[in-house]
Amino acid sequence: MQNEKDFIAELLNPKTQNIAFKKLLLYYQRPLYNHIRNIVLNHDDADDVLQNTFVKVFQYLKDFKGESKLFSWMYRIATNEAITFVNQKAKRNGTTSEAMQTKIVDNLKADAYFDGNEIQIKLQKAVSILPEKQQLVFKMKYYEELKYEEISDILGTSVGALKASYHLAVKKIEEFVKKN
Amino acid sequence: MHMKKINLENEPKITSGFTIPDGYFDTFSEKILAQLPKQEQKVVSILSYRKTWYYAVVAILILMLSVPIYTKYSTQKEEIDSATLENYIAYQSNISEEEIVNLLQQEDLDKMKLEFNIDDTAIEDALKNNSNLEQYIIN
Repeated sequence: MQNEKDFIAELLNPKTQNIAFKKLLLYYQRPLYNHIRNIVLNHDDADDVLQNTFVKVFQYLKDFKGESKLFSWMYRIATNEAITFVNQKAKRNGTTSEAMQTKIVDNLKADAYFDGNEIQIKLQKAVSILPEKQQLVFKMKYYEELKYEEISDILGTSVGALKASYHLAVKKIEEFVKKN
Repeated sequence: MHMKKINLENEPKITSGFTIPDGYFDTFSEKILAQLPKQEQKVVSILSYRKTWYYAVVAILILMLSVPIYTKYSTQKEEIDSATLENYIAYQSNISEEEIVNLLQQEDLDKMKLEFNIDDTAIEDALKNNSNLEQYIIN
């Protein structure tokens, strides 16, 4: 992508805004979708959250101070939207987000938009029982292949703490796989 | 058994297994772009809507606060007024009786007359019981 400062200026200028925003959409829709999908787990919810995320990005662009990178800022909005969505959905259904996520993972086989094998299902199950932060770190590092520095910028957690979280997550996943 | 072994460090990498409906991203950006102008207007309207609400709440708060303050001050004023007025008239004023009489209206005078209407039997009784009085009246 072009120089970020220029690009942000284009996004804020009413004359160039629409073209610039379309560029932003095409560049980020897939990675942000994957990030959101890994948190909310099913496609329809991921679609809702991704739409909300881009609408919020557009709304808040004028407040974007450029203190962080556009990339981290958008991932942060997507993460917040996805986690809020999961919590609200669980509340609406009178359950906890953990219980709801476990149920979704247990029914992954029946999901039309999941075609993972036994190993993939097992890994999803192992991840779903991790504490929320470890889940998030594992998904961003392992599934989305983000760098620790990028995750650090997005979540506002130090690289050291992220590495510790990730290794703990891996250890727990391996233990889970051994037991099951 | 071997199939179920998971080694996260080794390739091939285990993917999430999630799939996306065909053509989802072909239309996604159009869908968002179509939402934006409306959304932008909505934002403005929500903001101004909020502003009106703030004004309304502030106005109601001012009213709610001013009613007790108003009643407090207005009753205080009345109390001060009647008390000081009485005192003023009784002790401080140099208004002559004539002036007061002039200020009194016919109605007030009638009321005063009534108070002096002592019936005849009462006068007779008083005279009977107080023989000296007759002397005073005659002289």
